[in-house]
Amino acid sequence: MRDMTIGQFYNVDSVIHRLDPRVKIIFALVYVTALFLDKNPVLFGVALAVLALYIKLSEVPVKFIFRGVRALYIFILLTGLMNLLTVKGANTIFEWQFIRITEAGVSAAIYTSLRLFFMIIGSSMMTYTTTPNALTDGLEKMLGWMKKCKVPVHEFAMIMSIALRFVPVLVEELDKIMKAQMARGIDFKEGNLFVRMRKLVPILIPLFVSATKRSNELALAMDARCYHGGEGRTKMKPLCYQRRDYIAYGLIFLYIIAVIVLTILF
Amino acid sequence: MKLIDIKNLTFEYFRRDAEGNLEEMIEALRDVSIDVKQGEFVAIVGRNGSGKSTLAKHINALLIPSEGEIVVDGLDTAEEELRLSIRKSAGMVFQNPDNQIVGNLVEEDVAFGPENLGIPTADIWNRVEESLDTVEMQSYRQASPNHLSGGQKQRVAIAGVLAMEPKCIIFDEATSMLDPQGREQIIFAARQLQKRKNITILFITHHMDEVIWADRVFVMEEGAVVAQGTPKQIFEQRELLERCGLRIPVMYEYINFLLGQGIIAAEELQNVYGEEDLIALICHKVKRNLENGQASNETKQLLNESIYRKNETENKKSETARDGILLNHVNYIYNHGFANETVGLRDVTLQIHKGEFVAIIGETGSGKSTLMQHSNGLYLPTEGNVYFEGSDIADRDFAMKNLRQKVGLVFQNPENQLFAETVEKDVCFGPENMDISRVEAQKRAYEAIRLVGLPDTIYDLSPLQLSGGQKRRVAIAGILAMQPDYLVLDEPTAGLDPASAIELLDLLKELQLKTGITIVMVSHNLVEVAEYADRVVVMSDGSKILDGATKDILCQVGKLEQAGLLVPVGIKMLYSLKQVGFDVDVTKTKQMDICGELLKLKEIFSC
Repeated sequence: MRDMTIGQFYNVDSVIHRLDPRVKIIFALVYVTALFLDKNPVLFGVALAVLALYIKLSEVPVKFIFRGVRALYIFILLTGLMNLLTVKGANTIFEWQFIRITEAGVSAAIYTSLRLFFMIIGSSMMTYTTTPNALTDGLEKMLGWMKKCKVPVHEFAMIMSIALRFVPVLVEELDKIMKAQMARGIDFKEGNLFVRMRKLVPILIPLFVSATKRSNELALAMDARCYHGGEGRTKMKPLCYQRRDYIAYGLIFLYIIAVIVLTILF
Repeated sequence: MKLIDIKNLTFEYFRRDAEGNLEEMIEALRDVSIDVKQGEFVAIVGRNGSGKSTLAKHINALLIPSEGEIVVDGLDTAEEELRLSIRKSAGMVFQNPDNQIVGNLVEEDVAFGPENLGIPTADIWNRVEESLDTVEMQSYRQASPNHLSGGQKQRVAIAGVLAMEPKCIIFDEATSMLDPQGREQIIFAARQLQKRKNITILFITHHMDEVIWADRVFVMEEGAVVAQGTPKQIFEQRELLERCGLRIPVMYEYINFLLGQGIIAAEELQNVYGEEDLIALICHKVKRNLENGQASNETKQLLNESIYRKNETENKKSETARDGILLNHVNYIYNHGFANETVGLRDVTLQIHKGEFVAIIGETGSGKSTLMQHSNGLYLPTEGNVYFEGSDIADRDFAMKNLRQKVGLVFQNPENQLFAETVEKDVCFGPENMDISRVEAQKRAYEAIRLVGLPDTIYDLSPLQLSGGQKRRVAIAGILAMQPDYLVLDEPTAGLDPASAIELLDLLKELQLKTGITIVMVSHNLVEVAEYADRVVVMSDGSKILDGATKDILCQVGKLEQAGLLVPVGIKMLYSLKQVGFDVDVTKTKQMDICGELLKLKEIFSC
């Protein structure tokens, strides 16, 4: 479980790390949208190239990134498999009893898996390169206009920031609880699905109790440090755009143009 | 000037059952009156549940009195609109280092308070800078809190409070989850703040040795203040403290002994505060006496006898691979093959024999927990082998389940892993995983609960209803119910108050002697190790540096201190006496035996 690095911040000082979080959020949105615009190989080639460049500039080790999403591979594989088996088209490639695989199915499976894969990596790059606080600051500022309609933007941002802060803490705790229960003879690799599900009880209950306790204590600690919502709060690191952010926006704009052109052309 | 003025504070709350009916009224604080002057260092001590934390939470208006009043810096905590100002002037450092850090980077966390106060950005940077400097955490300002040690996290928490420029800082059991080094760091930081910045300190703890430096001490029991005075006045009331579940500092046990024997006089203790002062005092006296040649020949002869005793031959146990658990040249590397790989263990060879009480000691991060988890196959060595009674546990056909049953592992704070709705079901969980019948499992559970000294009435209670010490016993019973031959415990006394800690250790010793179970205790509390362990293994930076009988290991003061361990005052005292040329047996580790050695001082001083 410790290997789940998704959502964690990778602390190096790269160009990408120094960008304003809003730029990275917008890039993630643009990137994911572009993936769903069309199915064509050129577009996916460009997406791959852009992602590769992004990773290179971010100086986050490739190994670290792929290890982080390892747990999601099964999910991607399953989705691909579902597509392969359920999407039916004209040209049958393979048929056996009730299973029929068509060309359309194969293409759907490939594209869906690739999309999911790019989407996960693309958006997790945002969290690898941005501290959760910067990320929520960015979101808070971008969505600031919604406060006028009584949407508690600051509160949501705070909740998210705290959730991210406690992900590694709870992951470590989960690891510890699992080991402790293993020491009491539980074997997670044994039994059918139902039996295995039942084995989660001794893990999840202590985790839940601990999370509740932690949140109570944290709330008290925040109270003690004079937290009283977003009103009248100042920032240590207020967001303001630098030259590099404008350049980045320019590049994102170019990418949008390229995607549109490619979609029309192919 | 009075900074905090508490008058006749009473706090009660109601406990309700699931339907909201009143179950009972709990009086957490009864008629407490305390006043604290600006710049004072005040300690509040008491066992778990004595009301000391409840009192602390009243001072910065996290709780509001049912009766009586609290005025902090001229502000009444009952007035809602004053609360922010009160919390600004009375900051609080909490017990759990993790649960009070909000920021994802050290500097962002320190800034959290000032941000809430609406301080301009440029000033926030100054305050963060200054606060981190004060607690000497400047070099970690860009680090993630998750990568810090407990002591470092608490220092960040102190910096976070400092950045709000408070007049008073309340340490609410801020040291109870830390290792000895961490605790020293926090006490040092608190004293510096008081001395250099004239910040009032309220230090809440159940470790009496932390309050030696306080100006005044308040003792709490069942919600009331039962004693107050200077530390020295408090330490004299040994019986009262014991009734309150507390223990006077080990150093004062020796002082009382030395005073009682007439080896030192009360007026000599005027400038004695810390352990170093006491040791220096005694050594100085001894040196003067030895130089004056006052020690008679007769005494010298008597002293020399102890040297012969040391040379007694030990009957070493023959080591056979069939016996016990053997770690053979074990290396363990975390994240093996990745950029962030770190060495956990380096070439450790260790045999644990049946029936012994072994302590594995070392500072945090020295590899002792990693080592412990090799004993029942939770970790398999990256290199080397682990043998359990002769079979390699990495073998394909090795019965791992059998190993997990034979070697019971009790993790740190094991009560956090309780999950069932009743104590009985929780204790049965282990045996039931062993594929035995339900009836047999229950039988074993009952035996285990009795073994840990809990009453039969506890079976049907929910683990959540128990006290901290009881929960820990239930958790240990959960392991004992599997009827292991080896019981491996990680910091079994961490977080317990002194009385519960001693009870638990006595229980472990009794188990070892009565049932022949092997006890392996991972610890960094050398006072406990000195009293209870037969054998000590010292870990440092992933390697085993010392291994042998307790008496032979604990006297190697220099090596232990190099490994980052805090050597108990008694052992240090004997060691220092030996250094100045007074002949004592430095292999004594138990407090009683050390006192016996110190008696020899009487003979040179009396003539």
